[in-house]
Parts: sequence; structure tokens; C-alpha cells
Amino acid sequence: MSDYKVDLTNCDKEPIHIPGKVQAHGFLVAVDSKCIITYLSENISDFLPVKAEELLGNDLKNLEQILLPGETIGLNQMLQLGKHAKSFETINPFRIDSGDVSYNLIMSQVANFYLLEFEPTSSATEIDIQKTIGRSVTEMLSGKQLKHLLNNAAEQIKTLIGYDRVMIYKFSDDGHGEVVAEVKENHLDPFLGLHYPASDIPKQARELYKINLTRIIADVDTEASPILTLPVNGEAQPIDLTHSTLRAVSPIHIQYLKNMGVASSFSISLMYRDELWGLIACHNYTPRFINYKAREASKLIGQIISSALEFKQDEELLARSEDYKAAYDALSRQLRKGGSVSSIITEQNSTILDVCDATGAVLIFEDQVIKLGQTPNDEQIKELNAWLKRNMQDRVFHTHQLPELHNQAKEYSDVASGLLACTLSKEMGELMMWFKPEQVTTINWAGNPEKPAEIDEQGQLTLSPRKSFDVWSQTVKNTSDRWTREEIATVLKLREDVVYAINRQANEIRTLNEKLKQAYEELDTFSFTISHDLRTPLSTIKNYSELLLESNTSLDDDARRILKKVIGGADKLNFLIKEVLNYSRVGRAEIEYNQIDMERLLKDIKSDLVVALNVPNLEFSLGDTPPLLGDRTMITQVFANLLNNAVKYSAKSNPPKVKVSGKEINSEVVYEISDNGVGIDLNYYNRIFDLFKRMDNVRSYEGTGVGLAIVKRIIEKHNARIWVESELGVGTIFYVAFKKSGNGSA
Amino acid sequence: MGAPDILYIEDNEDFIDVVERAIGQINGGKTKLHVVEDGTLALNTLDTLVENKVKPRLILIDLNLPGLSGLDLLRKIKETPALRYVPALIFSTSDNPVDIRTSLESGANAFVTKPMGYNNVVKCLNSISDFWLNTISVA
Repeated sequence: MSDYKVDLTNCDKEPIHIPGKVQAHGFLVAVDSKCIITYLSENISDFLPVKAEELLGNDLKNLEQILLPGETIGLNQMLQLGKHAKSFETINPFRIDSGDVSYNLIMSQVANFYLLEFEPTSSATEIDIQKTIGRSVTEMLSGKQLKHLLNNAAEQIKTLIGYDRVMIYKFSDDGHGEVVAEVKENHLDPFLGLHYPASDIPKQARELYKINLTRIIADVDTEASPILTLPVNGEAQPIDLTHSTLRAVSPIHIQYLKNMGVASSFSISLMYRDELWGLIACHNYTPRFINYKAREASKLIGQIISSALEFKQDEELLARSEDYKAAYDALSRQLRKGGSVSSIITEQNSTILDVCDATGAVLIFEDQVIKLGQTPNDEQIKELNAWLKRNMQDRVFHTHQLPELHNQAKEYSDVASGLLACTLSKEMGELMMWFKPEQVTTINWAGNPEKPAEIDEQGQLTLSPRKSFDVWSQTVKNTSDRWTREEIATVLKLREDVVYAINRQANEIRTLNEKLKQAYEELDTFSFTISHDLRTPLSTIKNYSELLLESNTSLDDDARRILKKVIGGADKLNFLIKEVLNYSRVGRAEIEYNQIDMERLLKDIKSDLVVALNVPNLEFSLGDTPPLLGDRTMITQVFANLLNNAVKYSAKSNPPKVKVSGKEINSEVVYEISDNGVGIDLNYYNRIFDLFKRMDNVRSYEGTGVGLAIVKRIIEKHNARIWVESELGVGTIFYVAFKKSGNGSA
Repeated sequence: MGAPDILYIEDNEDFIDVVERAIGQINGGKTKLHVVEDGTLALNTLDTLVENKVKPRLILIDLNLPGLSGLDLLRKIKETPALRYVPALIFSTSDNPVDIRTSLESGANAFVTKPMGYNNVVKCLNSISDFWLNTISVA
């Protein structure tokens, strides 16, 4: 192997699992499937009276002969056994007593090769492991809380292996680590609570910790021994040492340990749901080797902690999330029951603010912004929503450092450094948001984490392990607590419920609309029939009253006056019936679109009105009369009613002035009908178009309260618009705007 | 049986009374009016007239009738060769454009909305009689 210079540019690529060296406390032999020795660590000569070169390329039996001259160990058979069992776990370690020295043989398979690693059986600790472990587990698990569990575990490990310092080191999502438990010799400085940057244990190292659940670095001051192999086609093929226990350590890591003053290091991986949760990191300041059995015992403790970790961590999460779950359940139940979505999730006992650990929440729904708890202000929310609309790829978005991503959010970093957003409808810009406040926290780093790189004597930027582990404090701003996986899951679940409720609400409204439409049609039919049927008896009343008046000469004046009143009443009733018929007819009729000559139409109406209403001094002026597109009968009715009102209600002005003119504005033709009459109190603006509604100031004028209702109905039927400007005692202007082209009903 | 000037098919007694009185007041009371109160009966009456080779000079038909409806009666009349050219008017309280159109499409010679009030009825019948009995020529 060529010398592999590690610098910043290739650090992530350093093949540390194939360093081609082993630690000096043992030696490594690798054989191929035919039991030919293919690799051999050079330091075999430190243990046995043989040189590596003498064994390379020879049968494993040659090594057996050197280990135990004249005896058969049966290494070959053991390899076959392990091969068939697909594991060497039951065989490892195999003890070989060679003269005065005894070895633990640890076997493993890698690709087509078998690794045979020989290491001392003697250990710094010689204790009854069975007993110790039994006691340890009981002690460890007695801790009710995770913190106690970890402290107990550190304590037990320290007893088991006797290292100077045992730390439990927890990884966070970004890879940096924190010492969460520590047991140490009294004279040592505490590392508890310190944070270590992610670069201290690079990603590929963390991957190896997931495979090798324990790892010993026996002595940082011994020189690693190179592994020799016979070149194939002139080249040496490296061997994968991933599963090797003797695997030499990355020079950077050795330097790192040396800088800390550590001589021996031992670590046990802590796993949580198949991920590396943390490490039990053990340091000794003098060389301290622990043998295979002690390491296996430690591994067992690590595994027990790992499973307890899962249990304890779940238990703690559970306790914390129970309240959130209750709130979620309440909301979900309510949403399924039906009702106003926004009221359910923002106004009841449980609101969206209660489903996760947030201090503020916002619902943007149906053009409303509903704020709960501590949130940015309306303006800021609007801006944030626009930013989310541009940048949100998924249904859910979360950050615990919003101000770092979105500069404007710095204004309100105190209330909303953490944002969890969840869309309801992306098109409508409808969503739910949760906020977490800024946590100005102080992190105590073991050394300055921003200076992992140094410039060496040659002026090259080199990744060098930190030499200073003095506490380096950092204040973190614009950052909130992180959103947990559970919070995000709850919010997504809630989203499903809310979307479901929204859809159902929309369907309910649609059904209601259908029913309303049907009721409307029935009402139209009803009013049409009833009006029609009323006419016949009404005409009998009028006919006979007139007949009596006409033919009976013996009636006195009083009787004649009474009969005239009957006739007058019948006339009024007849007119009312006619109007109601007209109104219901608009609802039933289909529109026939025609281009209407408005000048003629308006002139006809005007001459009819002058006669009918008897207003001889009327000043009527007609401006431009652009044609309208609509149903001739209905449009006639609209202008007849509006002009009738204009003339009627200005009749007492001197002189009454009525003006009609139209003009084209954009895609519409807008007509205005103005008068100088009594005017409309605009407080009643919404009601002037209601059926049978008449304003107080026109009681003295004849009218049914149907005219404007008909107008409104026709206007709606044409998809046109009507509005009014008016001042009491000054006059009124009605505007009607019809679409210039195309089918108005489209 | 001699042919009436006007055959009037109407089921409302009051209105029949009013029309009879009004007819008596116009044309010097000389207009012969025959009223039938049922659509089917009206058809029988007309058949009898046709057998006797006579026909009314004008037929007034209300829309809502027991037996045969006004429109059906109208269609039968217009399908009968001997009666085809007798002016037949629909005389109804309705002023609904739909009614007016279907009536004309079914062959009505005119659609007249019954006026409100005796005086208006007299006026209306007077002008009907003026036009349909005294002005036009019939085949």
C-alpha cells in the first residue's frame, strides 16, 4: 500500500477500514478458502519464532506446527465449522496455549478469506464476569429515568473494565456529541456536559461503530504493524479489515487521543432503533488492555442498555406525548362530528396549539388568519406564508432555525425561531403553522469546534485533531428546540383529519345548495299557481262590483262609494298578483339573448310611464344608449321598473328630473338611471332588493315591494350587476352593468 | 238547431254570467251566444252543428276546462275540415307568454287575456265582436 496522506480534501475518502495495519498487541493471519496463508501481519515475528515471509503462500498447517509443534489444533476444521454455521460466535475465542504464552484466537470471515487474529488472553481485569454482569444489569435497570440508567451503566462499566474515565456520549441529529453521563477518577477534569463537534467522530467512523459494537485501542504509543501479502499480477490487494478486532487505528484518531492524553481507549456502541444513539467511551491514561471475554461482557452490557434505552426513551416520549395525543384525539373526534373546521381547531377546549410542544399556532383558512398563543403579527404571517408558498415543496415543512433560512424572520426570532408548517390547500394558500420560541442556549464545546483544521509546517491545510480541549462556550441564537418526529407525525395526521372535514363541509354546502335551489323552484311554482288561481275569484269580485255599480240605479251614494272601494282593493290586489307572477316568472323563464335597441326600448317605456303615472312636468333626458345583450322581455322589465321608481319617487320634486344614459366600460355596458327624488337610506341598502320590502320614507307612494326584487332577479339571471348611490332628499342613481359580449350565463 | 254567433266554452259560472250580460249590452243585444261548460260536450255540440251544415261565426275557448282541455279542443276544431276556418280565440286569465305561444302554435286565431272588471269585459267583447263578427270576411 502506498502512503496515504490525509488532508482536508480527501478526509471523507480515507479507507480507514483497510489501513493495512494491525495494532501491535496481537497478530493477524488471513487464509483463503484453501487454507493458504494469504495475508500476515509483519509482527508475527514478535510473538512466534517465524518471519511473515516464510509463511505467506503456505498452508495454515505450517502455522499450527509453529504454535504447537507436533500437535494438531485442527484450525482447518474450525474454519469449516464456522463457515457452515455462518458465524464464529460460538467458537470465539479459541484459547491456544503455545508454550508459556496463551492466545485468544478470534476468527471471522471476510469475502473469500478467513481472518485469524491472535491476541493475549491476559487482561488487566480478571474478574468473575458472570457474576459481575448479573449484578450490573440489576443495578443499571433500577434507574427509573434515562439519566439514572445511563449513570448506572457508566458506573458498572467502570467497575467491569477499570478504566480511568467512562463517559456516555450521545449523538444529536447533526452528528455532534454530548457527554450525558460520566464516571471518572477523582483527579480528572469532568467532561460531563461538554459537546464535541461532529468532525471528532466522522461519519465513516460512526458507521464502523454500528458494525463493531466494541472497539479497543490498546496502546496509542505502539507502532501498528503492516500486513503483508503476496502481490497478484505485481500488485498488492488490500484486505477488508472491517470485522477485524486488531484493525489499526486511523492516524488522526491516534493523534486525537494522544492530544487528550489518552493511552488506551475502549468504546461500546449504543444502538437505538438500528441507529447509533451514542457510545460508552472509556479512556485510560496508561495502556490498559482488556481481553476478549471482558470486551464481550461489555458488549452485552451495551446491548442491554441499548434495549433499555429503547424502552426508557419510549417511556419518556410517551409520557410527554400523552397530553398532545389527548388534544389530537379531541380535535379528530370533533372534526369527524362535523361543524365549522376553523372553529373546531381554534376555539374549543383543545386547539391546534395543544397537539405539539409549540408556544404559538396560526391557521390560515378561508381568507382568515387565526392566531393562537405567541405568533408573529399579521403582516409578518402574511409575508411568511408567501415565502412558504414559494419554497415549500412538500405538505409539511419544519425548521428549528427559521431566521437562518429566511432573513425577514429575524424580526420575530424570539417567538418563531422554530416553524412547523403544514398545507391544507397550496393553491388557496391555506395552512396551519406552529411556532417554537428562540432558545438562546450556551453550548460548552470541548475546544473550539470551528477549528478542526490547521496549517502544517509545509503550509498545507491539514485536518488535525484538536490539541486544545479547553471548554469553549458558544451562544446559539435564532434557534429553537427541535421538532420531534412525533410532533411532525401528529401534525400530518391532524392535516388528514382537517382536509377530510373541509371536504365534507364543502359537500354539505353543495347538498344544501341543491336543496335550496329545489326549494326556490318549488316556491316559484307555488307562487305562480297561487297567483293564477287568485285571479279568477278576484275578477269575480271586481266584475260584480262594477256590474252592480253599472246596472243598479237604486244604489245610494254611500253604497256606490263602498263599491268603488271594493273595486279599488281588487285592483290593488290584481296588480300585486301580477307583480308576483312576474317575479316568479323570471325564476322559471329561460333567457333568450338578443341585441336590444335601447333607445327605442327606453322611449317606449318613458311614454307609457308619463301616461300611467301622470307626471306632466317630468324632465326626462336620454343620453347615449348603447345596445344591451339580454332577454328583451326581462330587460324591458328591468328598465320599466327602475324608470317607474325614478319617476314615481321624484314626482313631488319641482320639476322631477330623470336621466338615463349608458356607456361602455371595459367589457361591460353600464346604464345609469338617476332621479332627484326622495332617495334611499343606505342603511337599508342590503334590503332594498328584498321581496315585499319597502322603505319607510316611501309609505305614501303606491308600490308593492316587488319591483326591485324582480330587477335584482333578472340582473342575477343575466350575470349582470346592479348597485345604487343615493342621498336622502337629493336623489338616487341606479347602475346596471351587463356583460358586453358572449353568453352572460357562462 | 240554429248556429250561434259565438260559441263560448267556459266552466266558470261567474264569468259566464258576466260575459252573457256583457254580450247583451253590445251590438244592440242581437249577438247570439251559446255557452258550453265542458270540453268534450263542446266537441259534441260542434259535431251536431256540422251535421246540420251550420257553424258558429266565432269560437271563444277558455284554457282550463273539464273534459277536453282548451288546447286539445282547439286542435280538434282545427283538424275538422268544416270548422277549420272558423275563427277560434283563446280567452283566458293567463298572460303567460308560454301559454300564448302554445295556443297560437295549436292554431288559435288570437289569444285574448280576460280583462279585469265588468267595464273592461264589455269593452273587450265589444272590440272582439267588432272585429271578428263585423269586420273580417270568413270563408
